[in-house]
Order: sequence, then C-alpha cells, then structure tokens
Amino acid sequence: MAHGSGMNRTRRAWARAALALMASTCGARGWAQLPAEPPAVEQLPSKPTPHWVWVNDTSFFAYPDGRAFLVDGDSGKMLGMLSTGFSFNGVLVPKAGGVIYSPEIYFSRGTRGTRTDVVTIYDATRLEPVGEIEIPPKRASILPMAGAQALTDDERFLLIYNFTPAQSVTVVDMRSRKFVGEIEAAGCALVYPTGPRSFFSICGDGALLVTTLTDAGTLARHVRTAAFIDVVKDPVTEKGVRWRDTWLFASFEGVLHPLRATAAGVEAEPTWPLFTQQELAQHWRTGGLNHLAVHGGSGRLFSIVHQGGPETREELGEEVWVYDVASRKKAQTIAMRNKVGSIQVSQDDHPLLFACAMEANRLDIYDVTSGRYLRTVEPLGQTPALLVTP
Amino acid sequence: MQPLAQPVVLTPTVQANYMLNCMGCHLADGSGAAGKVPSVRDSMVILSQSVAGRRYLVQVPGASQSPLSDLELAQVLSWMVRNLSAQAVPPDFTDFTAAEVASYRSYPLVDVRDTRARLLQAAARSADAGD
Amino acid sequence: MPSSIDALVERLARNMAQRISRRSFIGGVGALLFGAAGMPLLPVARGESTTPARPDAATDPGDPQSCEYWRHCAIDGFLCGCCGGSGQSCPPGTEHSAVTWVGTCHNPGDGRDYIISYNDCCGKSACGRCLCSRHEDDKPLYVPFRSNDYNWCPGSKVGIAYHCTVARIVGVAK
Repeated sequence: MAHGSGMNRTRRAWARAALALMASTCGARGWAQLPAEPPAVEQLPSKPTPHWVWVNDTSFFAYPDGRAFLVDGDSGKMLGMLSTGFSFNGVLVPKAGGVIYSPEIYFSRGTRGTRTDVVTIYDATRLEPVGEIEIPPKRASILPMAGAQALTDDERFLLIYNFTPAQSVTVVDMRSRKFVGEIEAAGCALVYPTGPRSFFSICGDGALLVTTLTDAGTLARHVRTAAFIDVVKDPVTEKGVRWRDTWLFASFEGVLHPLRATAAGVEAEPTWPLFTQQELAQHWRTGGLNHLAVHGGSGRLFSIVHQGGPETREELGEEVWVYDVASRKKAQTIAMRNKVGSIQVSQDDHPLLFACAMEANRLDIYDVTSGRYLRTVEPLGQTPALLVTP
Repeated sequence: MQPLAQPVVLTPTVQANYMLNCMGCHLADGSGAAGKVPSVRDSMVILSQSVAGRRYLVQVPGASQSPLSDLELAQVLSWMVRNLSAQAVPPDFTDFTAAEVASYRSYPLVDVRDTRARLLQAAARSADAGD
Repeated sequence: MPSSIDALVERLARNMAQRISRRSFIGGVGALLFGAAGMPLLPVARGESTTPARPDAATDPGDPQSCEYWRHCAIDGFLCGCCGGSGQSCPPGTEHSAVTWVGTCHNPGDGRDYIISYNDCCGKSACGRCLCSRHEDDKPLYVPFRSNDYNWCPGSKVGIAYHCTVARIVGVAK
C-alpha cells in the first residue's frame, strides 16, 4: 500500500501550494528554507486492508484507561487509537464498514462514583465517537475475550454478557441504536452467535443455553442442551473460535470440541485431540489467554502451545501449532520469537499471524504461509489482550 | 518450649461444601448482595414449605449445577435452611433427601427470576388466606 | 431483584416469626458462628478492619508476599500484602468485596487443605505490585464460583475498580 494514500488531501494541497511559492521565490538555486506547515489531522482510508489489526488493551495496571490500537500489519505502523474506558474488552468491527462499536464503562470520578455503561459508536475513518447507547451498568469485568460480546450474524444486534454476579445478556439494536433489553441467563456465561437471531452460552453444568431472539431482539425461546463436557474432569476454555457454522472449543487437556449450529439448535460433533499420546507424554498443552484463531478460507485452526503441568494452562506459549480442521491433522508449527498469550489471523489469502501477550507491550507479526517472523511493533500499549481483525 | 498444639477443628463437611460452592456469592450469613445476589435468610424457609418451592431451591442453577452429589446438595440445602434463616425454622420442616434432590435436579430451571417471584407471591397469598 | 419482592419476603418472614418460638432460632445461629472448640469458622464481618494474624513459620511456611506462598495456589491479581494490606486485610481506603469465589489450597506446613476466600479490595485503580496468576483447580467463567478470571469487585458497593486480592483462611477442608 502506498504511504501517500493515507494522507489528508487538504494537507497535500497546502504542501503543493507552498512548494510552488518557494519555487517562484528561490529560482534555480533550490530551497532557501522549509515550508510552513499547517496543522492537520489524519484520517484513515475508507476501507481497511485485510492486514489491519485492532490491538485491544485492557490496561490492567490503569484500568480506567482502556485503549484499542489500530496497527497496519504490513508496515508495522500504528495508524491510530481509541480511548475506551474502564475494564476494556475489545472493539467490534462490523463488516458493513463505516463504524466501529465499543462497549465501554465510565465512572463519574474515574474509579468511583456513578457507573455508566455505553456502547460507543466510532466513525471508522475519523476514529471519533459519533454515537452512544446507554446500557445497564452490568457488563462483565473479566480478562478480555471474544465471547464477552458479539454481533448477531446479520450484525443487527449487539450482545453483551453481564455479571454482577447475576448473569444476563444485554441486547442492543445497532440499526436503531437503541437498548432493547436484558435477557436472563442464570447459570450460564458469555455469548457465541449462531445466526441472525440466535446465540448460545455455556452453563456451569457443561450444557449450552441456546437463545433465540425475535426479529425485534427480544427473547423468543430458551433451550438447554445436554452437557457436552465434564466440567469437573476436563472443561473447555471460553476462547472458542468459529469456522463457518461450527464453533471450536479446546479443553484443558487439549481435546477439541466442535459445536455445530443447525436449524434445530447446537449439536456437539465428535471430538478430536490436539495432541498425540506422545505429545501429551511430553506435557504439551494449550497456553495463553486468547489462545485459538481460525483462518476461514483454508479451514485452519491456530493454537498457542507450550509444555507444562495442568496448572500452567494460562501460561504463555512459545509455539503456534496449525491444524487442518477438516482432516483434524496438525499441518504446521510456527515458532514464536517471544512467548505469547493471544493470537489472531487475517482472513485474506496471504494471511498474517498476529501475536501478543498481556505481559509485554508489543505486537509480533508472522507470515502464515512461510511461518516466517516478519516484524514487531513496540512499544505498543500496556497489557494487550485481544486481537481483532476487521 | 512450644505449648502443645491445639486439636484440629475441621470445618464440618456440609459447612465446607457451603463455603466452596455457595458462600462466595450468598456470603457467610446468607445475606447476599442487594440487587445482585438474593438473600436466603428469609426466602429459603418460606420456599421450603411447598413442593414447588423446594423444587425451585434444587433447580436454581447455583444449586443444581454445583459439583455436589445429590446427597451433598440435600445436606447443604437443609443446613442452609436451618442455619442461615433469620427466623426460626418451623418444627414441621423436613430435611431435603438425596432422592428428592435427584428427582428435581435433572430439569434445570431457566426462568429463575420469574419463578422465584411467582413462588413468593403464591406464598404470600397463602399466608394472607391464613393457611 | 424488584424491591416489591424483597418487601414481600420481609412481610412473609415477619408473619412466620410471629407463629414460631424463638428458642430454635438462637441455637441455629450459635451453631453457625462457632465450632465445637469455640473457634470462629464462618467470619461474618464484612469490610471492617481487623488485626492481621501473624503466621507461624512452621505451620504456615513461606513468604506471604510471594506468588509461591501456599495460600496463593489460585490467586489471580495483585497481592494486597504488597499494597498496604496483608493476606487478610485490604489496604486503607479500599472496600473488602464480600462477594467473591472460594477455593482450597494445600498447606505443606501442617499437611492440611485450607478453604481460602480470595476477596478483592476495590475502589481504587490497580496497586500494580506483586502481580500473581496461579490456577490450581480453578474453572472457566461459566463456573463462576470456581473462576478467578472474573474481576470480583462488581459485588462491592464501591464498584469495579480493582486494587488487589487477599487470601483469607475461612475453614479447614481436611
């Protein structure tokens, strides 16, 4: 991408005028001095490139001051930032473009006072707030993860998981920009969309709660499935990722649980292991925080791994293993230059792998096809936790 | 010279089960947090007086989804009624049994808030009618 | 919860109390607060300052300000002992959030499994010192009473500003 394409047209016009003025006064000898520069504010191009990534920083050491950094994966440049309030989880980028959604929390006195929860709507080229929808001040304050908030498949409704510790889901109509309502979800957590008006949550007994909404976004139906995991022996992490109509969840002991959305609801498909017996004997296991990613086009699953005992499952990993989901086989190993906790993959045909960790203020970038390390963007943020590609 | 060690006082199993599975939200005295976690100090005795109420106490997700066995859950619920109620427990209160818990537990409750409200309103109507 | 339901419950409770003698009530509360040896087993006090207990090195080994200390087997946050509090008490001006999750840790000093309440101290921004993230036998967010990936300050009155975490003994499992 040419560097000039990001420049403000007004700024270029001014520069040309200044050059013309200089040329006319200085003649054949060249510049006598550098031209005056008018102030300017950059704008982003109207469409993101596939190699952009939002690095969502929950600012754990300065919780009121969450941030989302936009980085160009090809150039390694920071393109801009959003200031996103308390216990920040992440932005949502609707494919329709033009706007960015950010569930945010603010206190009237920073860390205390009246709490207000909003969904802020930002203009995607100016990175300025253009709208705000107030929602119940109940949004779950947790380590950041994609399951905390989601758009329905038609991107009309925004779903937000609440925890006070009472559990519920806030529904916001993003078309009319109005809060629709709060749906009780007792005993169940998080939101994983399965269609334009449906999503599931995971319950404490290992079952799923499948919620169907009316066309207006109110509750149409709640259906509980049977348990698909043994919560005591080998629960799945919350960091499921989606490939087409199937959600892929990894268990603590590395068993992959596919959950397929059908017209009837959600069905548990046969599980498969992420590790061979030999690898398990060598104590390979998944690691990190947002430890899975999917490349939709090729049907590949990316998983942060490391070696360690059961209590190390949230520790950073030094490798990313890539699996072909259809054949359930490991296809590739990508060695990490730095230990990482969260990954994401761009969805184009020459994908980049993005990797970061809350423990380090940087973003590492790899080429997926070759597995080659490309570059690091640092310093970047404070505790980058969740990576979102547009 | 060190004094002889005090005898170890193990937390009784039922209380330990309450601590590990319930106390975090409902708190040591069952009072919960207003607007967020219901208090059990008044409602449990009331709900334990009816079949529908007892079923609710087993099916509410915090109870039914806990890793406790049916017997352990029966014991914890009975302990809660007897020890966390602000009012005296009626002499005709019967402890929960494992069989009773098992019969309700496999049908998890989804509409918790509405069910609780409905049951308490029904109990109020009975009380007003002088049952 | 709608306040009308709470008012309803209160009315029902009063109605019941009028019909039942008080003797059984006192016995119940006594059994709750004190075990056979008269030692408090379920501390009821919420958020009030207490004199922190001093550990005995033999039966309570390790450095309470280190991540490896036995009571921290499933702690996830800043250790209040490094922040002006202690393993049992919150730093000045923070609220001890009563709502939390409760786990079990093995004490190598006396071989017992202790029940540990990991309460958060809330109302101020991060202490920023002694960050410790351990996950012995904890569960994902969908098992909240076993999960340390929640900020447990939402249950407090002051709100979700998370400052640090204590690790209080509340019982002995075995």
